[in-house]
This record gives sequence, structure tokens and C-alpha cells, in this order.
Amino acid sequence: MNDRYIFRYIIILVAIVSVLLSAAAMWLQPYQKRNQLNEQRINILKAAGITGVDNKNAEQLFKQHCTDKREGDMPLYIIDNQTTVIPMRGNGLWGPIWGYIGVASDGKTVVGAVFDHKSETPGLGAEITTEKYQNQYKGKQLLKNDDTVTVEVDAIAGATRTSKGVEDMIEQTLKLYLPYFEGNE
Amino acid sequence: MSKNLNLITAPLRKANPITVLILGICSSLAVTAKLKPAIVMALSVTVVTALSNLVISLLRKGIPSKIRIIVQLIIVATLVILVDQFLKAFMYDVSKQLSVFVGLIITNCIVMGRLEAFAMSHGPWESFLDGIGNGLGYGLILVIVAFFRELFGSGTLLGYQVIPQGLYDFGYVNNGLMILPPMALIIIGIIIWLQKPEEEK
Repeated sequence: MNDRYIFRYIIILVAIVSVLLSAAAMWLQPYQKRNQLNEQRINILKAAGITGVDNKNAEQLFKQHCTDKREGDMPLYIIDNQTTVIPMRGNGLWGPIWGYIGVASDGKTVVGAVFDHKSETPGLGAEITTEKYQNQYKGKQLLKNDDTVTVEVDAIAGATRTSKGVEDMIEQTLKLYLPYFEGNE
Repeated sequence: MSKNLNLITAPLRKANPITVLILGICSSLAVTAKLKPAIVMALSVTVVTALSNLVISLLRKGIPSKIRIIVQLIIVATLVILVDQFLKAFMYDVSKQLSVFVGLIITNCIVMGRLEAFAMSHGPWESFLDGIGNGLGYGLILVIVAFFRELFGSGTLLGYQVIPQGLYDFGYVNNGLMILPPMALIIIGIIIWLQKPEEEK
């Protein structure tokens, strides 16, 4: 077990491991990309009130329902020529949170909302991913004051910071879309 | 044969990694607020300890002792990344459940503890069984703790409401403290306390 052996051993081990990992990553990447894309499609459709979408039929249903989309600074998806689905990004307590909110063609009524998070506390902040929390948004009116937009829902008890994060995320995002909604009204 | 069986059953009680060896406390505080993540975590740790024990045991004669910890770490990290990549590609829902725990598995003291204490000096089959036993022993405590925390903290089990609405109408409230990590430590403390006298007999 001299030093030369140790060096040779570790170099060979690391070489094998890195070849193995890069091969796995290259082989699996297309599958992973497709899964991520499908998850996005499922969430967009869910925010527009279309449920029962799963990994298998997501691509087809999305093509069928998504009639228009816009990318760039203010991305949005139009579902069935009616609902505008807007992607959102914000900060929770421990890490990023994100989601989609669907607004009806009147520019006021929320059709649905979907949230997800990276590392919120299970049982507290992580509850934003539950149906119970997300269903609160259905049918709510957007409250517009001068240049802010809010939706009033019950916060999660014990998860004030995450609830506030969701609130801020919605406000910060929809604020930018105010001109868009006013053009629609 | 009975010796091999003992490798699986001993870690469940008298050599339990959490309550006796006091390993893996950190992740048992983090993932036990709800039952479901606790079960997922228990299964993944079982798979990783079993496989890494197996690989290290096969390599044990060639591993230079000066850098054995580094070699163990490389093997564990590689296994965890591979499993994570596979799940992301083929079982996306499970991988979303696991996302936060992947890091916790690599740093889990039980994995490294078993590699160092067992796999470096035993044969592959024994090491594999030892890994499974320790994963299950860890999982057992995790499930017990998560059961009480979810029941009293949220009134649910596996997400289903089990405490009837009637009780809430009488003024029963969920104990918010149960969801926070300190209560996990207290429950583990109680389990150790209940287990200790039995062991001394």
C-alpha cells in the first residue's frame, strides 16, 4: 500500500465513476427533459381548470387546449381561447417557490392556481402544494388598486413566511401584467 | 443461516442504528413531520445502505486504508446520483418526493457508519444483509416517529383525515409543536427510554 498504489487506485476509481455518471446523464437526459416539460404542461392545464392530465396524455392534451402562447419578458399561455395562464416565481422561507395562475377572460376572476416549492417545511410551508390550499384560489376576484394586484386567501397556520411568499409572488407577477389585462377588459 | 438472519433482525431492536447507535438522528428529525416522506426516505436509505455495503465489501481488499473514507464517499455519492437520475427519468413522481432527501441520504451517518464498521471487514452477502437490516431498523423508528407527529400535528395519517371533525367541534386543536423538529427529538428520546431497561435485563 505505497503512495503510488494509492494514487493509481484513486485515479482509476474516479475515472470509472465519472465515465459511468456522464454516460448515465447523457442517456437519461431526454427522458428527464420530457418529464419536466410534461410536468409544466400538467400544471398549466391544472391552473386553467383542466384536471385528469397525467404524464402520458400531457403532450397531446396540451396541444389540443393551448391555443396561443407568448414568450419573453411576459410569458403567458392562452388555454381554450379563454383562460390566461401566467407563470410565477418567488421566494418561500427556505428556497424558491413557483407556480401558475389562471385568469378568466374577464381579467378578474381566478380560474385556478398551482404552486410548487423546492424546500419548504413538510407539514407547514409545503402545504402550498395541496389541493386544499390551491382550491381556495378558484373563483376569487383579483383586487386591483392603482398599481398592485392581490388575491385574498387564508394563510397556512404556522407557515406565515411561506404564505407571505406566495402572496408576494402573485402580487409581483400580476403587477407586470396589468396593462395586458386592461387591454383585455 | 441464523447468523445471517440475525444481521437483519438485530438492527431492528437491540442494535438499532437510531436508538442504540444514535446514528442518523439529523435526517430522522427532518423527514418525520409526515408519514409518507418518512416511508420514502426509509426505503431509499435501505436501498443505498444495502448497495453501498455490497460494493464496498467487494472492493474492501483493494481499498488503501489511508483513503478509505474518500473511496466510501465516492461510492455512496455515485450510487445516490445514479438512483436519483434513474428516478428522474422513469419515476418522476417518486423523484419529486425524494428531491430534498437525496442530499440527506449521502450525508446520512448510518450509510458511512455501516461501511466503516461492517462492510470493510465482512463478505459481500453479509454486508448486503447488514445494509438491509440497518435500513429497516432506521425506517422502523422513522415510521413510528412520523406516525405520532402526523397524527397529533396534523390529525391525518398518510394525508387522510383520521381525527374526526366532531372532536374539533369540541375544541380539540392540532398540536403545532408536533410538526416542528424538537418534538421528533423528544419522541426519539421516549423510544430510547422505553427500550433501555429491556436491553439491560
